[in-house]
Amino acid sequence: MKTFWAFARQNFHATAVYRLDFWLRVASTPILMYGMRWLWVTLYTQRPGAFGVSMQQMVTYAVLSIAIENLFYTGPLYYIARQVKSGAIDSDLLRPLDFHFHMLARSTGEMFFRIIVIALPAMLVGYFLLDLQLPATLQTGFMFVVALLLGYLVNFHLDFILGTISTVTLDIHSIDWAFQATSRFFSGRFVPLWLFPGALGILANILPFRSIFSTPLSIYAGVLKEDAMLQALGFQLLWLMLLLMLSRWLWGRVQMRIVSQGG
Amino acid sequence: MIQAEHLTKEYKRVVRREGFLGSVRTLFSAQYETIPAVNDISFRIDEGELVGYIGPNGAGKSTSIKMLCGILVPTSGRVEVNGLIPHKERMKNTRQIGAVFGQKTQLWWDVPVIESLRLFRDIYKVPEAQYKHNLNMFNDLLGLHEFQNTPVRQLSLGQRLRADMAAALLHNPRLLFLDEPMIGVDVVAKEKLRNFIHEINRDQKVTILLTTHDMVDIEKVCSRIMIIDHGRIVYDGSLAQIRNQYGKQRTLVVEFEDDVPDFSAPNAVLKKSEGHKKWFAFNRFETSPSTLIADITSRYPILDLAVEEPEIEEIVRTIYQGKPEALATETK
Repeated sequence: MKTFWAFARQNFHATAVYRLDFWLRVASTPILMYGMRWLWVTLYTQRPGAFGVSMQQMVTYAVLSIAIENLFYTGPLYYIARQVKSGAIDSDLLRPLDFHFHMLARSTGEMFFRIIVIALPAMLVGYFLLDLQLPATLQTGFMFVVALLLGYLVNFHLDFILGTISTVTLDIHSIDWAFQATSRFFSGRFVPLWLFPGALGILANILPFRSIFSTPLSIYAGVLKEDAMLQALGFQLLWLMLLLMLSRWLWGRVQMRIVSQGG
Repeated sequence: MIQAEHLTKEYKRVVRREGFLGSVRTLFSAQYETIPAVNDISFRIDEGELVGYIGPNGAGKSTSIKMLCGILVPTSGRVEVNGLIPHKERMKNTRQIGAVFGQKTQLWWDVPVIESLRLFRDIYKVPEAQYKHNLNMFNDLLGLHEFQNTPVRQLSLGQRLRADMAAALLHNPRLLFLDEPMIGVDVVAKEKLRNFIHEINRDQKVTILLTTHDMVDIEKVCSRIMIIDHGRIVYDGSLAQIRNQYGKQRTLVVEFEDDVPDFSAPNAVLKKSEGHKKWFAFNRFETSPSTLIADITSRYPILDLAVEEPEIEEIVRTIYQGKPEALATETK
């Protein structure tokens, strides 16, 4: 745990260096939140009752999705790619740290940091200005946090796997672009999954991406309750286990390659 | 402390074919060639030694250090560091070693030096008392406090290397690998770093393997040198011994009163002639300087004379060039 905090502390310092980048991120979040709210309010005015949930629930879902999305841009993809390509991976391997754990600590430290400086302030703005509802009960709020953490971990491992693969293909930008597009779409980041028709809906329900946005947001907005909620949490856990094993196996192979060929 | 037996590391490289068709063919069926970077080397370093590890670029120095660090697996042979096989017990091994690679920093680029050190403290689980004690030592010996709040990217090269040195020693490693730790550093900073290396070896009994291209570093701090070339160790022994073994040649520099014609003295070769000055090379085991001087002074009046020892650098250069006998035989 101390290691996680140590990395979070590093992030405070690193962010202090890139202040403009930081403030742009902070400033753009409420604007996007406002945009999402405006979009759904307009749609509901045109076609009330067409989206399966109340307007309040939908606005909560959409506004919250923007408030938390910065937590998911903390993956190790670029870090891994850069370290391996430049050979700086040596200095990571020179530490008494398991690489996968190191990446998890690094990303999680950054996520903690972003919760404090971006997500929480954004949620306050949402609550006071943009009709973001509080969770219905304390228990719902707690389950939301659990689902959010699981979603974060699923996203982290997907990113870790991509980073690992990119060390072999040596191309990250196109991989990252394709991944982000797929992930955002199937995670319910833009459009909630319950609005997906037929086969698309089935596909979205099988893929791991729904763990990232859809599950925590649906729990928060009160769309997923009781058994359905527990099922969704179980689904997150299942994918997390699979991705965790895959991550460790893949990285094991890449690390073997690095230490046998010298990067 | 360190034991290497028949240690070998071969790299596999794809052989690139020439031209467009060639690169297309490479895509489908790659040919590999094997490059031996380290070729069957054996050595032993005992606790508390300070060994200079030298060799020309590409000789295999970094490859062997990486194997000792456990971040490179040997192709064959055996290596043991303080009882551990580095690549098999990499994480355990990293706790007992420290490493500085002069070419690239291991600190975080954007954050102040002290923050990197704090992170290392947490990663290595360094006790608070030890951390404070070491920090005081770094302040005294490396002047760390002068720049500890500066981000690494704003440090001068000399400061950066001092910071890297502090980071490598924070967890009190028993063994320190220094891979060109003074590259590109000015003379004053160099002297500081040299003294520091000397002190931690002497006072804390840290075993040190130092790679450098600067023979002054070697002469000032090392008691033993290993020379590696083309992946093989071509010399391993004390500095005094290498001087004895290869440094048979001495040079007598004579300054004459007047212009004198070039001449050769018995058992000495005229190497250089510049105005009134002449350089005579001789083998100190075959010719005594006094006979030589007597011979020369009997012919011409002289103003000044001096006997020069070969620079260690010159000895090493001859060894790199693969003709260590040259220095000894040249005068015959």
